[in-house]
Amino acid sequence: MAYSDKVIDHYENPRNVGSLDKSEDEVGTGIVGAPACGDVMKLQIRVEDDVITDAKFKTYGCGSAIASSSLVTEWVKGMKIGDAMQIKNSQIAEELSLPPVKIHCSVLAEDAIKAAIADYQKKHGASE
Amino acid sequence: MTVAAESQSASELDPGLEGALDHFARLGLERGWRIDRDALEDNYLARSRSDHPDRHAGADARTRRVALERSAANNEAYRVLRDPVRRAEYLVKLGGIDLDSSDPQTGAPHPEQSFLIEMIERRDRLEELTTGGEDALAELRDEVDEELDAVFATAVDALDGGDTQAAAAALVQRRYLQRFLDEIDAAIDSPNQP
Repeated sequence: MAYSDKVIDHYENPRNVGSLDKSEDEVGTGIVGAPACGDVMKLQIRVEDDVITDAKFKTYGCGSAIASSSLVTEWVKGMKIGDAMQIKNSQIAEELSLPPVKIHCSVLAEDAIKAAIADYQKKHGASE
Repeated sequence: MTVAAESQSASELDPGLEGALDHFARLGLERGWRIDRDALEDNYLARSRSDHPDRHAGADARTRRVALERSAANNEAYRVLRDPVRRAEYLVKLGGIDLDSSDPQTGAPHPEQSFLIEMIERRDRLEELTTGGEDALAELRDEVDEELDAVFATAVDALDGGDTQAAAAALVQRRYLQRFLDEIDAAIDSPNQP
């Protein structure tokens, strides 16, 4: 199966790989997995005044899963959490030209950012 | 047990219920994880012979097509049933849960969040270990290998007890652990990777 240039670019030069301190108050952590293939993804955000100022990820999985999470961390930096919540897997899949068999990788990335936001909101009394 | 293969003459294959046979029925076995290995081999060979396209080379187009489809189905059934893990996953699928699907109702069940967190944290430790030498890696490999065996044993117990849900949950854990084990093996093979 051929990967698109964008997938290869994110796979070979993943943006924002790493960790934030999950115990910090401003940090939200989302950990999700794809049971069908065993991929696991951790995506973390730092939020200040409702704006995502930093994002990091660690993904153990295929190229498409790594590219999807890398792309999402790029996108969400500078976004309001309300807007980041609206990110759809279809946008990720479209940007990376993912083939149908790899759509679940973009779903995983959407789930990860939503889980990270939910974790942050939980720490702050889930005002939404 | 139904062994129909031998009774068929070379040119009259009944297309009949081709699609309706599950892999166990196709190879004349009782449905269940514990199978008679000898019967599996014998029945597969017998059916491969009787359904072989060469045997039907002179028959009409329809019979030739059926022979081809049946041969492919026999091979697929054998490929799945001879492998203990594939066999277990197939039984779960027959029970209504497809581990290759992410459908929330009929797809692979998600493990506990704590399990996923552990899978991430163990990856962090693996990264530290790759600089810590071969012994530590080999030790971790043994540890994960044992866990893999243990969750698979849990899955088999569940299948024996007819509990598809529990079997599916254990087999999903097995897939995550298998993925981790593959990464450990990769780290062992290329110790200089960062």
